[in-house]
Amino acid sequence: MTAVDPDAGHPATGLDEVVHQRVRLGILTIAHEARRVEFGYLRTHLELTAGNLSKHLGVLEAAGLIEVEKGYEGRRGRTWITLTAAGDTALAEEIARLKQLIVRMESAGGQ
Amino acid sequence: MTTDPLAAGGDPRQLLSDVRSLARRVRLDQRMTWVALLVLAAVTLVGIPFDWLGMTVHCHPDTSCEFARHGVLYYWPAALLIAYAVIAVSYVRTARARGLGVRMLPYVIAGAVTTALFTAAWVVAARYLPSHPDALDGNSYWVLVLDRLLSPWSMIGIALLVLARLERNLGLLAFTLAYLAVVLFVLPMNEGWGPAGWGLQARFAVPQYITGAMLLLGAIGFRTAGRRQR
Repeated sequence: MTAVDPDAGHPATGLDEVVHQRVRLGILTIAHEARRVEFGYLRTHLELTAGNLSKHLGVLEAAGLIEVEKGYEGRRGRTWITLTAAGDTALAEEIARLKQLIVRMESAGGQ
Repeated sequence: MTTDPLAAGGDPRQLLSDVRSLARRVRLDQRMTWVALLVLAAVTLVGIPFDWLGMTVHCHPDTSCEFARHGVLYYWPAALLIAYAVIAVSYVRTARARGLGVRMLPYVIAGAVTTALFTAAWVVAARYLPSHPDALDGNSYWVLVLDRLLSPWSMIGIALLVLARLERNLGLLAFTLAYLAVVLFVLPMNEGWGPAGWGLQARFAVPQYITGAMLLLGAIGFRTAGRRQR
């Protein structure tokens, strides 16, 4: 369980808007677990259209959280997404803040 | 999934739950546990005739026997290295076909290190024991367990622990611990097992058949469980 520091600000104030978004958090999570993930896997498991997924990947790439590598396997084009070190840190921080938020909500609910 | 920002009204519990279920999904899609166990079972079973045919036995008039398991030393180092390479390539190719990467280098390194360790121990024993035939007489139970630990059958289990960690697979961890317990404490891998009338080759083959069968059953079990989960 994450400890709550009463002197620290509310965890919601430290949230990174690039990461704190359901789809982008999903992309970072999958890329973290898999080390590298193909565009089609993300589209299927996040249930997105290709255009929508591309927009989110663009946001994450612009923020330096992922790297996008395009290539071919035979005649088939494949796009692979890799998490950068900054992306790894951002994901860890986001998860830590989510846990803090849950602790706050639970302690507020118990009072 | 939606594309709404979560800062306003997003439920952190739901988000964290989504993160965990996505991570679990990826781990399931990366796993090829049954292939690893199947390859190791095949290597174990194919190794039995090598041990049988490569074993030299010299029995003395007082019914004591000296034996040397040359087959184990010639077969297992190469067989294990090939097996780890086959397993790693299978994992990488399957994960890639599913659109994922996979981390296999630690398992391959663990496999290579344990293979080198077992080979070194057996080479030292093969050189030392013929000139010191009484070295193992009256040794304690734990020396026998250490001898079993330095066998290829135990080394398979040690490397499987690394694979279970990489896969974060509690099922494989439980299977491997049970497998190691049987190989180290139950099966007389270094003494042989069977009726008194059997030759040494046959008595050494019995624990190896049981080990191979355990790995084969594990492969079938993980294959069945994996199909249900996917």
